[in-house]
Amino acid sequence: MNELVLTLGWLGIYAPMALGAASSAIGCSIAGMASIGAMTETDGGYGRFVGVSAFPSTMVIYGIVIMFTLNRDVTPENAGGLFGIGILSGIALMYCGIWQGRACAAAINATKEKPEIFGLALAPAAIIEGFGVFAFVFALVISAGIS
Amino acid sequence: MSDPDAYIALISSLPGSERLFVAKQPPLSRLRLDRRLTALTPEDARVLKVLEQALNWSAYDMDITDAQAVQRCNQALAKIPQPTLRSLFLERMDLRTVVAALRLRARGGNPPSGTYGIGRWSGHIPANWGDPDFRLSVPMPWIKDARQLLEAEDPLGLERLLLSVSHKQLKRYAARHLFDFEAVAIYVLIWNIFDRWAQSNAQDAATRFEKLAQQAMANVAEFDFERVSA
Repeated sequence: MNELVLTLGWLGIYAPMALGAASSAIGCSIAGMASIGAMTETDGGYGRFVGVSAFPSTMVIYGIVIMFTLNRDVTPENAGGLFGIGILSGIALMYCGIWQGRACAAAINATKEKPEIFGLALAPAAIIEGFGVFAFVFALVISAGIS
Repeated sequence: MSDPDAYIALISSLPGSERLFVAKQPPLSRLRLDRRLTALTPEDARVLKVLEQALNWSAYDMDITDAQAVQRCNQALAKIPQPTLRSLFLERMDLRTVVAALRLRARGGNPPSGTYGIGRWSGHIPANWGDPDFRLSVPMPWIKDARQLLEAEDPLGLERLLLSVSHKQLKRYAARHLFDFEAVAIYVLIWNIFDRWAQSNAQDAATRFEKLAQQAMANVAEFDFERVSA
């Protein structure tokens, strides 16, 4: 039984990093495909499109920081806490990254027609980033209570 | 349901559908559009072809009967698995059924027995043949304008009204699809409307040119060339 609990603890430590990396990969690829499509239709502003398509990469950074914060000796006493915080923060980061990629793709698609709305079109992606930051910060706060 | 991220690059590589109607020059030719559509999977390309052929008037023979047209639409519908595209197709068929009934009645045709056309109003229309708008003015507010244009024998005006109604229908569906196959199919259908719109504008320009030319020739006919030369 203890082995299973310890395994879950280790899973919780690595989950934010793994799920964050997966979400950044998916989000960046979604937004990247949109930027490549937009580049074939427009005559300029390519750098802006590529920059926006890199937005979801922040999720893996949050995941790495959470992983280092959770990283400690896993005991039967702290394994449950590590698992809960790690898995749930990882899932939150994963959703944020994927949907941020979709929001960035929509922003790129819109701004290729109307470059003047570039800033406003990024607002949904920025709001999703805020939710990712919530998941990140409170994972750090809660992890301080684990022995 | 289609993969919501299936055609992100394809959709992003197409000019916005709104730009089609405001540009002086077509921002995307059919040739270029077809080239972009090569990114579709064979299955999606087949569904799009079925949808386009079923909705394109030029794909129908002039002497096709009502029964044949209805059968063809039902066959096409059976090959379209996406609920949004099926709903969109049926809505367009509703529009065509109503317009065909208006035309039939305007020509003095007898009320059809049983059902008429295809779609949810096929039984309703014969039952309300005596009403000017077939009692459909609430679900189809444009029907009054269509009837008036038909009575005024303004085919170009009617064509534009129907294109405008179809365009609004498509935009309504487009709002729910960003980067999936349905979004691509809706874009292509909007492009087809743009194409027909552009053609109707060209016809309008040709008619106006003919009128002006006749006016100019009439003035020339009244001109006394002999006096000028003397």
